[in-house]
Amino acid sequence: MKSFLQYLKVIWQIFRKDFQVEWRGKQGVPVMLVFSLLVVFLFNFALQLSPTLQASLTAGLLWVSLAFASTLGLNRSISLERESNALDGLLLVPVDRSAVFFGKALSNFTFTTLVALALLPVLSLFYQQNLFHLPLVLVIVLGVGAYTGLGTLLSALSIQSRTRDVLLPILLYPLALPILIAAVEASRGILAGQPLGDLKSWIFLLLAANILFSAAGLMFFETILEE
Amino acid sequence: MTLHKKPSLLSILDILSILLFTAVLILILFFTPTELTMGPVQKVFYFHVASAWGGMLSFILAAAAGIGYLVTRKVRWDWLSLSSVEVGLVFGLIAILSGMIWAQPIWNTWWVWDPRLTTTAIMEIIYLAYFILRSGLDTPETRARLGAVYVIVSVITVPLTFFSIRLFRTIHPVVIATGGDGGSAFNMTPRMLLAFIASLVVFTLILADLVWHRYRLAQLQNTIEEEVN
Amino acid sequence: MTMSTKSLDSAPQLVIRDLVKRYHFQPVLNQLSLTLTDGDFCILVGANGAGKTTLLRILATLVRPNQGEILLGGRSLTQSPALRREIGYIGHQPMFYNDLTALENLHHYARLYAYPHPAELVRDAVQSVGLTPHQHKPVRTFSRGMQQRLSIARALLHHPHYLFFDEPYTGLDTEAAQILDAQLQYLHQPGRIILLAAHQPGRLLRMASHIAWLQDGKISHHIPAASIPEVPALQAYLQEGA
Repeated sequence: MKSFLQYLKVIWQIFRKDFQVEWRGKQGVPVMLVFSLLVVFLFNFALQLSPTLQASLTAGLLWVSLAFASTLGLNRSISLERESNALDGLLLVPVDRSAVFFGKALSNFTFTTLVALALLPVLSLFYQQNLFHLPLVLVIVLGVGAYTGLGTLLSALSIQSRTRDVLLPILLYPLALPILIAAVEASRGILAGQPLGDLKSWIFLLLAANILFSAAGLMFFETILEE
Repeated sequence: MTLHKKPSLLSILDILSILLFTAVLILILFFTPTELTMGPVQKVFYFHVASAWGGMLSFILAAAAGIGYLVTRKVRWDWLSLSSVEVGLVFGLIAILSGMIWAQPIWNTWWVWDPRLTTTAIMEIIYLAYFILRSGLDTPETRARLGAVYVIVSVITVPLTFFSIRLFRTIHPVVIATGGDGGSAFNMTPRMLLAFIASLVVFTLILADLVWHRYRLAQLQNTIEEEVN
Repeated sequence: MTMSTKSLDSAPQLVIRDLVKRYHFQPVLNQLSLTLTDGDFCILVGANGAGKTTLLRILATLVRPNQGEILLGGRSLTQSPALRREIGYIGHQPMFYNDLTALENLHHYARLYAYPHPAELVRDAVQSVGLTPHQHKPVRTFSRGMQQRLSIARALLHHPHYLFFDEPYTGLDTEAAQILDAQLQYLHQPGRIILLAAHQPGRLLRMASHIAWLQDGKISHHIPAASIPEVPALQAYLQEGA
């Protein structure tokens, strides 16, 4: 029991440290937010989106810009550990190294969710809709959870490559497709007024993805990082 | 330098593959009936499904070999994993191209976003990503280790991908110009069923044959590199 | 202070047995064996690229060996992550977050090791390496020497029994080198084992108890420091300063 508590403390400390660095430098969340807004603008003009966008397109816009912005955050999060090799320091912890995975995943999840929540009022404003639905927050939590879980795992892979900056999107996007489809469809349904019960297949898919990628992180994170 | 001699079993497999492939080809061209609505182009279906089946099988084989490497850390498991992905890439490509050839005259479109075809296309991209990952890594041990993890994690996502696209399609059916939803169902007569199963078996044999050849290539490459060092 | 036989049995012992590590299928460490006993301060020497860094990283559990066994006080290192608590490691890089201050970095490590009263611990650690005036500055502003000093504080924060230092004197100015000398002298005592890789051991040989020579992936010689004159090859190697 004592060692499990210690395991949790390590996860918390890694999250806390990431938060501290972010607070000090403010290089992560603001950059992600600005980037996601740029994506919204880009799509707005590229696809000639009308001001009174249907709910179906807003959901897609939300998740596409979030997916792109999150990749920036994931890259930055793991690069932080690489400068001065602080990652080795994390690997020296006297607990199972999957704690490092959960710690990093927690901070990645938190920062991306903050960006998502900031996007809600922006999209509401741009497309004259109300995106403030509590069920939508649930979908955001599940969708971002699965996406950043998978992303954290793959960022540990990509950081070891010479092509580290471009590799993460290439590894992540094909595998994250089901998460994005489920998140968009569920969001779409909520914004169109559907009850959560109708959307339960998508919710279950997102839950399954969260569980699968957490399990994968638990099993493989140490193997990925141990030379 | 001991260059391993080609195993006799592999030679037998080579001959068997060629003979059975010819047999199945004859079966499909002359033995099976022509489908009513689709016409002769429907016969592409046999190769299309068999190649897709081969692509799927090699993915599973690659992941199993990845597990083998992570457990034993013996490099020959990595050779098997790499060979499976390479061969799977080719099978997937054949599946996609034959799918397109089949789709065009029947639905008047080169591409249909049906779950199986789309999942196969995504699988191809995952295979390519596997090679891009490996090419950026410096030591063979790292390539083997990270390649194994990537292929295992990828295999897990395939059912998720398939179900999500299928669910998507039931909500957003695509209506093709000639009617119908771009689905590919038709009833199979006993002759067609025979040809179908035969092509699945033959393609599995060809898969095993090609993977084995590619594995030997990796093995020989390794022997030469060891000799050079 | 006499040590009873009971405490000798449970005293830290480092046993490395038949360690193999391959890169590009070539063995860098080839059936390497080495045993260090409680109270040893062993200098590890060897040519550049001989495998000193690899050996130390394996001992710090950052690299996984292909074969072999490492026992710390009788317990297998690979099978108990909790044993890492007993290890203090200094590598080629300082392992800090550049945007955080010295104090914040050490607090981070103190919490990772779950120390109950991190504030005191960290304050003492900073003082012991003479960085108290700079403790609130971001590590980004530190010179190489200062970073290395902080690294020493980090490695020793949790009072480990086994110390694995990879060329810790690189980049140190005279003052910092003196601080490290003092630290090592203090640490060289029963209850600790120090394995320190040095390119040019020089005066370290006066402080050390043993020397180990890594050649061709093995420890070719492991002798008390005083016995170096008995091995002319080693003496020549050391004098070359290669």
